[in-house]
Amino acid sequence: MTAGVPEIHEAPVVVLGSGLAGLAAARELRRLGIDVVVYEAADRVGGMADTHRDEHGFAFDTGAHFITNRFAAAVGIANRCRTVQHYGETVWLRGRAHDYPFGLLRTPHYLGAAVRVRLQGKVEAGNAAERFRAEYGAALADEVAIPLLEQWSGLPAEQLSPAVAEKLPGDVAATMALKLAARCTGRAVAIGYCREAPQSANVWHVYPEDGIAAVCRALAAALPDDVRLANPVERVLVADGRAVGVVVAGREVPAAAVVSTLPAPALARLTDHPALDHLRELRFRAMVFVNVMLRGRDLLPDTLTWTPEPGFPGFRLAEPSRSMPWLAPAGRTLVTADLGAEVGDAVWSAPDDELGEQVADAMRAIVPTARRDYLGCHVLRSPVAYPVFDLAHEAARLRLADGTGLDRLLSVGRNGEFAHLLMEDSYWRTLRRIRALAAELMGCAATQDEGAGVSAG
Amino acid sequence: MAGEVRIPTTEERPPPVAGERTLQTEAARCCVCGTRDAEPVAVGEDFEYRTSPDAFLAVRCTRCGVVYLDPRPTRRELPTIYPDHYHAFAFTEDRFGLVHRVRSRLEARRLLRALGDLPADARVIDVGCGDGFHLDLLRRHGPAGWRLEGVDLDPRAVDAAEGRGLTVHRGSVEDLDLGERRFDAALLIQTVEHLADPGRVLRAVRRLLVPGGRVLVVTDNTGSPDFALAKRRHWGGYHFPRHWYLFDGPSLRALAVRSGFEVAELSTMVSPVNWTYSVRNALDDWGAPRRVVDWFSLESPGALAIFTAFDALHTAAGHGALLRAVLVTPGSSP
Repeated sequence: MTAGVPEIHEAPVVVLGSGLAGLAAARELRRLGIDVVVYEAADRVGGMADTHRDEHGFAFDTGAHFITNRFAAAVGIANRCRTVQHYGETVWLRGRAHDYPFGLLRTPHYLGAAVRVRLQGKVEAGNAAERFRAEYGAALADEVAIPLLEQWSGLPAEQLSPAVAEKLPGDVAATMALKLAARCTGRAVAIGYCREAPQSANVWHVYPEDGIAAVCRALAAALPDDVRLANPVERVLVADGRAVGVVVAGREVPAAAVVSTLPAPALARLTDHPALDHLRELRFRAMVFVNVMLRGRDLLPDTLTWTPEPGFPGFRLAEPSRSMPWLAPAGRTLVTADLGAEVGDAVWSAPDDELGEQVADAMRAIVPTARRDYLGCHVLRSPVAYPVFDLAHEAARLRLADGTGLDRLLSVGRNGEFAHLLMEDSYWRTLRRIRALAAELMGCAATQDEGAGVSAG
Repeated sequence: MAGEVRIPTTEERPPPVAGERTLQTEAARCCVCGTRDAEPVAVGEDFEYRTSPDAFLAVRCTRCGVVYLDPRPTRRELPTIYPDHYHAFAFTEDRFGLVHRVRSRLEARRLLRALGDLPADARVIDVGCGDGFHLDLLRRHGPAGWRLEGVDLDPRAVDAAEGRGLTVHRGSVEDLDLGERRFDAALLIQTVEHLADPGRVLRAVRRLLVPGGRVLVVTDNTGSPDFALAKRRHWGGYHFPRHWYLFDGPSLRALAVRSGFEVAELSTMVSPVNWTYSVRNALDDWGAPRRVVDWFSLESPGALAIFTAFDALHTAAGHGALLRAVLVTPGSSP
């Protein structure tokens, strides 16, 4: 080491959780020359980024269905990914599919209302319902956006923060250009999938040959000695307003900093410090993902079909094999229904087969033969599927955006940030915050000189 | 087929077969500030030589504006990513014909404009000399008394240059033992973008110069319109995965200053290469017919002529495809 670089940290940075955010954080810290150790409660890495496979050749993902070619290159798995050639979304209304988003606007009733609100100019929205009405017009908001949001969140749109709408793609001209590029290049150009890095015709959906879990496996491979599986962190230790260590298996482990990817309320419980008390009230929506196996192929109108009308068991149906044919055996397909739930309620506790048959029954409006061609189902349950932007907890959510309130304690990733983050966004955001932490740990001067590998000249 | 328009190519070659082995890579940092505070700019492939099946990420330093490959191939992969038919090992008149003759004339004029006032017995070293193209030009067009030497990492380049009867050292300029010899000028012509640590090399070059010595740096310009148009994937200047650091005017200046130089001149100059290859890479990527793709290459005088004229307009506006800098040791402005 060059003389003059101070001994910056005797203890490693401790990372809680080995999902995408945790492993991305750890790999970046390593790359910056900082010691790191990752504690994972489960016996394998990956967290929500996981793919399951059954003995018949059906594959289904826990979380995301796609990554982008750019994210794959950043992780180092681009050459082990297949290009996705098509991705599309539709909205099922009054017995037929409307392309999303432009197909909906061919309905004069929606277009008229949408144009009218545009002409009225900006309106300050106090809740999600007002925000949608101001953005899309009352017709589209009341018949499509608000029912979808309410099933997704489990709360009336009037009780949700207007910030839930921020995720939606905005620029009509840009979206049209990207759709055109997708058609011309035969690649599923990613539209509205990443906000942290620019969209372009050159960023498209890909799917790893070994499933989404390949992302975390690749990151973990860069950390051969740093991940401790089956080692849940029991407490985060704080002294003088600063995270100083964790307790693992009853043993205190000192830390230069603590980076948590746990759901923000869980971090508050582990830390048990008044500075984090407000995070305890944040709530996640639980989801039951019912993966229904069917005879046939390309049964739904497109990869994703939104179902805002009553009578459907969830708010959307996905048929990933429309985009990624290799996810189901020949002549078979798999449709995923996302059912909102509360942990322990009737949906959460229902037997798998009952849920599968219920989804197949309800699907008949779109796929008349669904019941006849039903082959069985796989059900996944997630207690922390999506953060609920409840207006009652808006202050806590906004405070978290500025940090945990404790020094050397970061809360990152989609659960840690309590935000609607897709994988690639979670990755870039985590890197940015980790680089800032590293600069703080190392001091700027040290970062500069060591960085370029420069020996004093 | 009757009536079919035949697009001329200088040589019909089968499309390159993609290398099958994934490259070993390592993380990189900004060569000016040393941080990794960067945002993604491009994702691309080795469109030209297909030396591996990998995709590469170019990022831009949010502090310095330097664009760099991250992650990048390790040093051990150099023989793979620079295949035997790499153009800089064999830019010969046989292979490149008219393009070679025109380029030789233009480049000789440019070199002499930068070096013409050197003493009659000046020593000049070309760092990253490749097959010795520029040294050979100086030998043929410069004063007879100039003492010319080259240095290159790659043994194939060194062999090619020695084959021309040039004095060339194999290795890196940092490790070179030249005894007490000092040089009046050093050339880094389309070299700095290939280096693992440009600052370190520039500092080593500074130690080789006589007081008042100068360095001519020529490199791809990320401040150009071709970069702005094609920067997300197809820009020829990325040359994936062989260009590791890329600059615009301000970031090249920052590198020079950090490496102990003053910038005596900084301007842009005409080159059709990045325009030509940006178009070629896009066509190739989108599956255009091979003979259309091949119309855009270093071996196609038509495309090069058109883009030379086109880039001349941009150069007149100060945004040419190449950056050209003359660096001097402090306190020795010529």
